[in-house]
Amino acid sequence: MPTELRLHVDQHVRYIQSLDTRKGELEYWLTEHLRLNGLYWGLTALHLLGHGDALPRHEVLDFVFSCMHDNGGFGAAPGHDAHMLYTVSAVQILATLDAFDELEARVSGGRQEIGQYIAALQDLETGTFAGDEWGETDTRFLYGAFNALSLMGLLHMVDVDKAVAHVQRCANFDGGYGTSPGAESHSGQIFTCLGALTIAGRLDGVDQDKLGAWLSERQLKNGGLNGRPEKKEDVCYSWWVMSSLAMLNKLHWIDGTKLATFILQCQDPELGGLADRPGDMVDVFHTVFGIAGLSLLKYPGLEEVDPV
Amino acid sequence: MPRFYHDDPAWSDVTPIPQLESGQVLAGISYTAEYSEAMSYLRAVMAANEYSTRVLDLTEHIISLNPAHYTVWLYRAQTLSALNRNLREEIKWLNPTALKHLKNYQIWHHRQTIIDRLGSCDGEQEFVEQMLEKDAKNYHVWSYRQWVVRRFGLFGDEGERKWCEGMMERDVRNNSVWNHRFFVVFGGLKGEVEEGLLKRELEYAQDAVRKAPQNECPWNYIRGVLRQAKKPMSTVKEFAKEFADLEKPDEVRSTHALDLLADIYEEEKKNDEAKTALDLLANKYDPIRAKYWEYRARSLDSAAVEA
Repeated sequence: MPTELRLHVDQHVRYIQSLDTRKGELEYWLTEHLRLNGLYWGLTALHLLGHGDALPRHEVLDFVFSCMHDNGGFGAAPGHDAHMLYTVSAVQILATLDAFDELEARVSGGRQEIGQYIAALQDLETGTFAGDEWGETDTRFLYGAFNALSLMGLLHMVDVDKAVAHVQRCANFDGGYGTSPGAESHSGQIFTCLGALTIAGRLDGVDQDKLGAWLSERQLKNGGLNGRPEKKEDVCYSWWVMSSLAMLNKLHWIDGTKLATFILQCQDPELGGLADRPGDMVDVFHTVFGIAGLSLLKYPGLEEVDPV
Repeated sequence: MPRFYHDDPAWSDVTPIPQLESGQVLAGISYTAEYSEAMSYLRAVMAANEYSTRVLDLTEHIISLNPAHYTVWLYRAQTLSALNRNLREEIKWLNPTALKHLKNYQIWHHRQTIIDRLGSCDGEQEFVEQMLEKDAKNYHVWSYRQWVVRRFGLFGDEGERKWCEGMMERDVRNNSVWNHRFFVVFGGLKGEVEEGLLKRELEYAQDAVRKAPQNECPWNYIRGVLRQAKKPMSTVKEFAKEFADLEKPDEVRSTHALDLLADIYEEEKKNDEAKTALDLLANKYDPIRAKYWEYRARSLDSAAVEA
């Protein structure tokens, strides 16, 4: 790796801290529907960088609880409808900050309530999960449900076998997985499917060599990874592809040095943050997935990330 | 031109419900103020369970500012039902809106709800095509197209398959089209794959490989078709050798052909040849994945020991 390329830790920490102080900017309000996700991404990036205390714990928790509804679900921001994706982010933040006791102190039986909200979103016929009452189903929501429930020790609240069978039906002819049976293989969806199967301890039904081969084909000559065949590279796939390979114990099938170089080239070395590819605008989404990717590659100085 | 409600007589009976922090929000940018005010009126009509024509206008306005806000779509769909609106009109409005917001999930879900209620997919093929002209690999569009195939029973439909071929002529590297073709051809199939069908599908993919030998998509398709038909990979041995012949190690035209050949030789228990193909991949044609090719070569050895 060229020696001038290094991870600009301090800049990234400041970049993430600055995200919440931009309330006068248009972008802040247009991304309001993602606020809780954004907070989770920022917090995770800080933890991986070894600066987990860079956001004030108490304020973070206040914000998270202000997004909670009586039905146990969380919205993206106060006053927004509850949705699986934000509920998962909320649970992940609570787990990261070791704050389940605070949850119980503020909402008695809170964990159980959240578990019930998530469990009610399972489609008992197919085993998959919806994102909200509107009924859009996607393997992302299934993974989210498994992730949040397992963090709370409540996986028994849903029909795990049925959900696993659904994931298995999402396997495609090329070895990959999509959002629903028959939908095109996509690295992000493979992550969600493998993640769910890993949590359930059911990787047995996966054609691991075939899937590993498909995943390793995602690496392009410049070291970056793409999400589907014949598409462009993007930093976020450093996470989706690599974590999937890691769950299959095949991370070494791709060239880690070339990938790390690619990720480092996507940094804004002055203002911090990472972009999808070199020279583009940074955002918190690509920042966390780039850093998490480097962590999987055992980049020095980063906390180790769990691929699931 | 920003649109506001506070001085609009049609809205004078509504008391907006601002968000907690809205004092700071209004600072500066008029676009933000517009959005924030419209949202405060939406909160008010939702709190009053109002379903009316002006609510449709309001949701349309908010969607134009921020189409990713799923609450707005949900409330719009509820309002349409409550008012028993003409859903064809809704589709007419949705078309240009979808074209403006290509990466939006909510819009597709809304469309699905409306088309399902209408019970007809007339015009949907043309619309999807228009969307794909802007982004030919858009996941939402293809997922929606699959939903149409399922909902209206288009499995095995020749028109749908020909439509895929038209899309493929525009870009033979579009994996979404390959996936869709597989879905249409095999998705509704019960029982065995007939010889004629197998031949047609293999020839189609093989022609595509000849246009661009390093294109991963048709190679994956060929493997998928063979697996579906329960045929050995050696069915396409001569074809693979057109692009990678171990006798001519300097003239390999496709790493995917070499990869397939390695599998074919393994199938035929010719481990030395398989190893030669894998070595060429690891050392010459695809070193970025060297560890994977080496793993494959080692698996040959262990399989041989077990045998």
